[in-house]
Amino acid sequence: MFELLNSHYNYFAVMLLLGIGLYMLIESRNLVKKVIGMNIFQTGIFLFFITLAFRTGGNPPIIKEGGGPYVSPLPHVLILTAIVVGVSLTAVALALIIRIYTEYGTLDEDKLKQLYYD
Amino acid sequence: MTLSLIEGLLLVFVLGCAIGAAVLRDVLASLMAFAAYSLGISIIWVMLEAPDVGLTEAAVGAGIMTILFILALANTVRPQENGLFESLSVRTVVLVGAFVVVMVATVPSLPAIGADGAANPVVSGEVTQHYIDNAYADTEVKNAVTAVLAAYRGFDTLGEAVVVFSAGVAALTVLRQEVFA
Repeated sequence: MFELLNSHYNYFAVMLLLGIGLYMLIESRNLVKKVIGMNIFQTGIFLFFITLAFRTGGNPPIIKEGGGPYVSPLPHVLILTAIVVGVSLTAVALALIIRIYTEYGTLDEDKLKQLYYD
Repeated sequence: MTLSLIEGLLLVFVLGCAIGAAVLRDVLASLMAFAAYSLGISIIWVMLEAPDVGLTEAAVGAGIMTILFILALANTVRPQENGLFESLSVRTVVLVGAFVVVMVATVPSLPAIGADGAANPVVSGEVTQHYIDNAYADTEVKNAVTAVLAAYRGFDTLGEAVVVFSAGVAALTVLRQEVFA
């Protein structure tokens, strides 16, 4: 078990981050905190990709004479795109949250449910 | 590769900040924990030899994202409640714990961190090798990440620009004050 932890530590961190993000998405009553949880879940997945791209003794993929071996550039590109898309997602979510607040005057999930059904 | 001291400390810091963001009751405190978390994880990207991702995470994740959250808080409410921490819900902890256990069960089948050759098809695969061998000859850009982002996968980046544009339009549309009858 300890050996596995020593050779796969980042993957354990990934799974824990996914768990923390999921917990926040389910359990936080405040809508802003739910969005923070979504971002933590996302970054957990990023960590998974970047860890897979890593190789021991690898250099950043900036090509030069005799510069190898390099880590894989492809997951880095995917994650760069995903970070930007994540920010767009957060911006829209927060805009909706501001709108919900101006309509209902609260960001508490339970109170919103009550207001909606009344 | 085995766990070095600095990586261990960074992982503990990042996980601690994430747990802090989850359990702190005050929204602003939770947000600050999240900003520290973003900064910690951008250092992890640099440790994993991904400087482009680290720069983007520090600028966008820790910078722009925090500003967006603070703007949202300034325009809404920061509920004043008693107590520093949220109370944990046992039901959700059990549910999420089961999820984490199932995910951790897949870890032994993943390649060890830093493995190369046949053990880790991501770094030794044909696609990766093609980009590294030909990126400079094809695009005259030395940074392979930039070459893939802007040249080989340029259409994906165009799609990303479309996503950002639509997000901007959507946010502005939603924020325009309309009175529903």
